[in-house]
Amino acid sequence: MAKKVSVKEIQTTCCYCGTGCQLLFTVDQDANKILDVHPVWGRTNEGTACLKGWYGWDYLNDPQILTKRLKEPMIRKNGKGSPLEVVSWDEAIKFVADNFKKIKEKWGPDSFLGAASARGPGNEAGYITQKFTRAVMGTNNIDHCARICHAASVAGSRQTIGEGAMSLSIPEIENAEVIFNIGYNAAASHPIVARRIVKAKEKGAFIICADPRITETARISDLHLQLKGGSNVALVNSLANVIISEDLIDHEFVKLHTKGFDEFWEIVKEYTPEYAATITGLSPEDIRFTARKYASSKHSVILWGMGITQFSQGVETVKCCCSLAMLTGNFGRPSCGTGPVRGQNNVQGTCDMGDLPDVYPGYQNVTDPEIQAKFEKAWGVKLSNKAGIQLTRVPEFVIHEKDPAKRIHAYYITGEDPAQSDPDLEEIRETLDQVDFVVVQDIFWNKTAEHADAVLPATAWGEHDGCYTSSDRGFQRVRKVLEPQGNVLPDWEITCRIATAMGYPMHYNNTEEIWNEMIDLCPKFTGATYEKMERQGSVQWPCWDKGHEDTGTMFLHKDGHFATPDGIGILKTSPYHPPTEVENTEFPLSLCTVREVGHYSVRTMTGNCRMLRNLEDEPGWVEMSLEDCDKLGLREGEIVKVFSKRGSVYTRCKPTERVKQGAVYMTYQWWIGACNELTISSLDPASRTPEYKYCAARVEKIKDQAWAKEEVARIYEDLRSRMHIVKEEVLA
Amino acid sequence: MNSFIKANPIRCIGCRTCLISCVVAHEGKRIFEIDPDAYNFNPRLFMVKTARVSAPVHCRHCENPACKASCTSGAIYVRDNVVLVDTKKCIGCKNCVIACPFGAVEIVETAEVQHDGSPRKIANKCDLCAGVADSPSCVKVCPTQALALVTEDDLSESVADKRRSAAVAALV
Ligand code: SF4
Ligand code: SF4
Repeated sequence: MAKKVSVKEIQTTCCYCGTGCQLLFTVDQDANKILDVHPVWGRTNEGTACLKGWYGWDYLNDPQILTKRLKEPMIRKNGKGSPLEVVSWDEAIKFVADNFKKIKEKWGPDSFLGAASARGPGNEAGYITQKFTRAVMGTNNIDHCARICHAASVAGSRQTIGEGAMSLSIPEIENAEVIFNIGYNAAASHPIVARRIVKAKEKGAFIICADPRITETARISDLHLQLKGGSNVALVNSLANVIISEDLIDHEFVKLHTKGFDEFWEIVKEYTPEYAATITGLSPEDIRFTARKYASSKHSVILWGMGITQFSQGVETVKCCCSLAMLTGNFGRPSCGTGPVRGQNNVQGTCDMGDLPDVYPGYQNVTDPEIQAKFEKAWGVKLSNKAGIQLTRVPEFVIHEKDPAKRIHAYYITGEDPAQSDPDLEEIRETLDQVDFVVVQDIFWNKTAEHADAVLPATAWGEHDGCYTSSDRGFQRVRKVLEPQGNVLPDWEITCRIATAMGYPMHYNNTEEIWNEMIDLCPKFTGATYEKMERQGSVQWPCWDKGHEDTGTMFLHKDGHFATPDGIGILKTSPYHPPTEVENTEFPLSLCTVREVGHYSVRTMTGNCRMLRNLEDEPGWVEMSLEDCDKLGLREGEIVKVFSKRGSVYTRCKPTERVKQGAVYMTYQWWIGACNELTISSLDPASRTPEYKYCAARVEKIKDQAWAKEEVARIYEDLRSRMHIVKEEVLA
Repeated sequence: MNSFIKANPIRCIGCRTCLISCVVAHEGKRIFEIDPDAYNFNPRLFMVKTARVSAPVHCRHCENPACKASCTSGAIYVRDNVVLVDTKKCIGCKNCVIACPFGAVEIVETAEVQHDGSPRKIANKCDLCAGVADSPSCVKVCPTQALALVTEDDLSESVADKRRSAAVAALV
């Protein structure tokens, strides 16, 4: 007799990038097994998905390729240096709560820093992490990985147009007339956004791409501005210069909706195309052409990514991009505006949830007494009105801080791996070892967990409910697909248990209860109920009212009304200065970090997906110009060693016509070819985003390739065993 | 006329979702359950990236296939408008690899072990997913619709269109 199977179809949101594609899972619930996954229609994806959406769910099977799933709570009972031991949840929670309490009593609330997760856990967990930090620990030291990617977009946009999110929505890109991509390669970071750019091009849009490399986006562009790395500010200032001096501005818009024009002109007047050409290496004609083209349409869109934010002048570039859109009246209508396209699936959401040191959920300032009073009343505790510190400053507040009273003593890291993702890893490792108490809450063993005093295993995307915010402000549901294996708990529940053990009871029966508490505290999100998400599929904030009529907001700044306190936008920019560390005789190449389309973040997830791993695997690649390869006698696939002042790693050489001589590019996802061993930790002074996109490096040829191959294989095996993969356990 | 897959380099963003889909279609769902090293990851289409072009290269399913003509063991044949390799007959002589003007054939290792313990190697090329899926998998998954299956009907339609516009243009 045929076995009756309980096959169920469950729709959820992809866990990888901010596009928020909708995926349909077919699951055999009796066997707790995924039978099929394919994309279905959603507001942003229209039934399509990239390779990560199609094949990136496989890590849920725990194939133990790169790392092993965390399945039991573990603590170092006898302090640092002692082994991590498996304990019960009760014991682990008590251990963490006692230590947090002790540290808070001894060193004060500001000795704690919480890192929220912009990945699988979702908005509800993000809300709980910041609530725990603020209400239980009593500090605003809460941050997340936006700091190392789009914090400059949040800071730069809020200072000019008042809102740190994409002003337009992803589908609108398709109907733009001019698309100016700067430091943004949608093809690698958001293939399903790239799809809209391709469609716009077919509909007749003019595509411009400013990037030092011939990326896929540059390739499909009508004009590629192959500027010198690190010269973004000079380029955008000169575009503003042309727009103003050739009188291409939208006078009415500028007069009615902006201020600061004189100060703005004072700075950009110096950046004539001729002058900017000397910094950017572009021709003055191309700069003029770009400015004219951009200003020629009321449907011009600027899209940007890490290529402008991961510089020490990230905030400056963002401010000027917003100003370009204001100068030309490109806000407040469909298919125009600014698009800082968010990398990780829920990095927009984690900002929305107030996992930032200066704002509560819903972008409400911690320094505003009225807001503070509102949250104090809701949470029943006194709260701090002092903005907290950013996570990229942890080394500064640990190894570089002499006074123990001012140091960070406890670090609660959820769903992030700073020992892989942060710049200058040597410094990060030293920092983690010197923090008195480190808690890692994650789904896989990772490099940071090696330094943890307690490791708390959480459920993964696909094993819990919740919602994410897509890059274009769309709240979308994620749903439980499989029953989790092992002794794991949802992130929000773990944090609630710690809070309760510390004497601040936090109890919720489900994520909807958390969500309802949050939306009632955040006017911009109040209308975005679960019910509305269910009905509409996606609800874009602001959504003020719970009634059916308020379906959310497709684009921001309608009719030029900005989200600044007085509704007026502020034109802003800054003079250009070169990157912190430039090429020199010992390190003659500039190194820029980029990404691999089939891999994600620190690769614990995609590195454990069979298909994605088979398409691209360790030790990654360093992209080099044909000239530089010739000079060093390098061939494709050869293992090389890349050095910077801070360290060295092995990787493979990829000669390509797509990069300029003197510049090399490495993907940050590899563990062996971990380019963050090389990157510099210099930070943007305003956003504290690291300068991943520029440092000085050197590539060396290795004569004995057979040895190098063995060495890389040995390092891989060593990494895997450090990540607790025991050979016999691996699926045969 | 034989069908073939045409890539549009203006739409292709080089993501290689198509390459994975090819392997998944031909190896079957079991590859989501086994050791990723237990089989060979051999997509039947090849990604080409130059300074200005990104596009996968597929077999053109030629009407007079050079690979078929060069095959020493009669392993290459045409069935239902698709040029196919009989994997049983193929001896891995590489003539087809040399003969194909598009570089669309390669020799790959199979999981089969020969008498001497070495893996059996055979020719591998696009089969338009004949016998493994209802339609070519790469066309189905491509996020930008950069790939299209071109059949005899499609081709005659587009040719007719072109002739029509040529004739109209001649009038003006
Ligand atoms: S990674 Fe991004 S583009 Fe790819 S399927 Fe997921 S949400 Fe869509
Ligand atoms: S899936 Fe489509 S866009 Fe991606 S590489 Fe293949 S043809 Fe190009």
